[in-house]
Amino acid sequence: MKTKSFLQFAGPSVALMLLLLAAPLLTTFYLSVRNCALEMEMVTIEESTPFGKQQTLTQRAKLDEKGQAIKNCSFVGLSYYRKVLGLDDASVATGAAPPEADGSAAAGSPKALSKRADNEFLGALRFTLIYTFVTLPFVLGIGFLMALGVNGVTQKLKGAIISASLLPFIITPVVAALSIKWLFRDNGLVPYLLSKFGIQVFWMAEAWSARALIIVYGIWHVVPFAFIVLYAGLQSVPQDSLEAATIDGATRWQKLRYVTLPHLTPLLVFITLIHLMDAYRVFEPVMVLTQGAFTTSVQYLTYHILISENNPYKASAAAVLTLGGILVLLVPLLVKTWREQKKGL
Amino acid sequence: MNKRSIPMSVLIYAGLAFWLVLASLPVVWTAVISFRQYVDAFSSPVQWVAPFTLENYTRLWIDREFYRNFFNTALVTVCTVTISLSVGCLAGYALARYRGSLGFWLLLVALCFRAIPHSSLLPSFFSIFEALGIRNTYVSLIFVLVAINQPFTIWMLRSFFINIPQELDEAALVDGCTRFQAFRRVIIPVMWPGVVTTGLFSFLLAYNDFLLSSALTNGDKMTMPAAIANSITAESEALLMQGVAGAVSITIPLIILVVIFQKQIVGGLTQGAVKG
Repeated sequence: MKTKSFLQFAGPSVALMLLLLAAPLLTTFYLSVRNCALEMEMVTIEESTPFGKQQTLTQRAKLDEKGQAIKNCSFVGLSYYRKVLGLDDASVATGAAPPEADGSAAAGSPKALSKRADNEFLGALRFTLIYTFVTLPFVLGIGFLMALGVNGVTQKLKGAIISASLLPFIITPVVAALSIKWLFRDNGLVPYLLSKFGIQVFWMAEAWSARALIIVYGIWHVVPFAFIVLYAGLQSVPQDSLEAATIDGATRWQKLRYVTLPHLTPLLVFITLIHLMDAYRVFEPVMVLTQGAFTTSVQYLTYHILISENNPYKASAAAVLTLGGILVLLVPLLVKTWREQKKGL
Repeated sequence: MNKRSIPMSVLIYAGLAFWLVLASLPVVWTAVISFRQYVDAFSSPVQWVAPFTLENYTRLWIDREFYRNFFNTALVTVCTVTISLSVGCLAGYALARYRGSLGFWLLLVALCFRAIPHSSLLPSFFSIFEALGIRNTYVSLIFVLVAINQPFTIWMLRSFFINIPQELDEAALVDGCTRFQAFRRVIIPVMWPGVVTTGLFSFLLAYNDFLLSSALTNGDKMTMPAAIANSITAESEALLMQGVAGAVSITIPLIILVVIFQKQIVGGLTQGAVKG
């Protein structure tokens, strides 16, 4: 195919990605070093009440001729990065810090200061990484055991098991997280069953249990994917190698270790890379199960700053830091793709 | 496979049975309590049998007009899948047939885009859509979902197109077709299985999206997952039970999908794996 027709065919797709992925990413960088605050003015409001006229002095946003609020935008450098990373110490916070976009002038008060001082991003990153690396071995291990197990059962059962296993994988994540929440809620099914064994846990009320629930959700959600990929891989294990091993007197364990496992290694790597990418983006269970109370994830942090704090500039700073993290995670995947493509072309 | 010992088989069957219970429990139990009053759904001790009621569903679908959200989801999903596939097929075909290094770079960049956390794009979407006056419209949500879908779609379609022998388009070209005619009349007809599989994953991505849909739409434009978000923090019992009914309503189409398209979904999952 000629370059010209390649460009014609790929054009619409490239244009879409440039417009709606690349351009917003650049805009995020731009927004992250800026801040806009509404221009406020003091007005006196006169009210006629049964007790005579009352005057109150209040603040409101200044409007221009079109009735739009006037915004003062300026370059603020890395100050929001410092905020998200909790680097703002007292001198910075009272001196150079820009006014908050939502107009709250709390930056000076000691309480707000101590709240700002904790490193929101690092906290979110820490849990995201815990989630990623705790779920990963379970996903690979359980997926592998299930693939081996299903490989041994009758044909009829295989279909049923694969069908049922697909459910956790394709179900809407927010619905799945809600279902798990209802299952573990006070007076829900699981606490009831556990209480029969004398175990009493208020799952959503403590940090460790809320985190454990998020991790359980993660394992439950991703195991089917690992299982199906590995199960497909098992179908293509070279049978003659297995037979040769049997003739040479290999035990079942040795065959697994020296024939099956090496054959599946590329698939295990593939699942690991996909899982790293997806786990880094964990959002719905954090949103549903804790509402950020005990734990956040990097993606939740950006969302929270944007929606709840209503501060797109600070959210952009968090987003840029998040993107930095994904780049680090991507390096092995990019190198792998690079090698394979070079081989392939 | 050689014969396994009996304890081994017992262990395997027990393990698989245990997994089946775990895999379906959250969904099954949610379905069970969706037909109950709040007091029966969350009671101590848990009731295994309780009076049957459709109240949660009638309240949700009729009083709260959940059918609007259903319609929004249907519209957004169908448009997203259609546009994703049309645009993606063209690009996937080009990537499968073009030998220059430009194609490789496009794939590499698409891979990076595939990994972007979606919330990183939201601040920009808010600002840009606000400035253009297209916030809270179907069009903006659909195109955002298409773009998010694109990297995955072109990778997957490319791997399907590569399996189609090049002689096929060459024959068409020799017979006087233009490149586009060869693509339309010769390649796409044999590509249908690949298009269906990719379409399924595209559908799942759009249908299951919560983060973008809930942030970019509100009011009467909300999709189903965005609409049940208020039951996350629901304090009122009636609202919570409507959320339960909503969760089941969202899941039913997905279950139908699994039953009909199980082969394609499994095929799609392994497709990527085998090809790398």
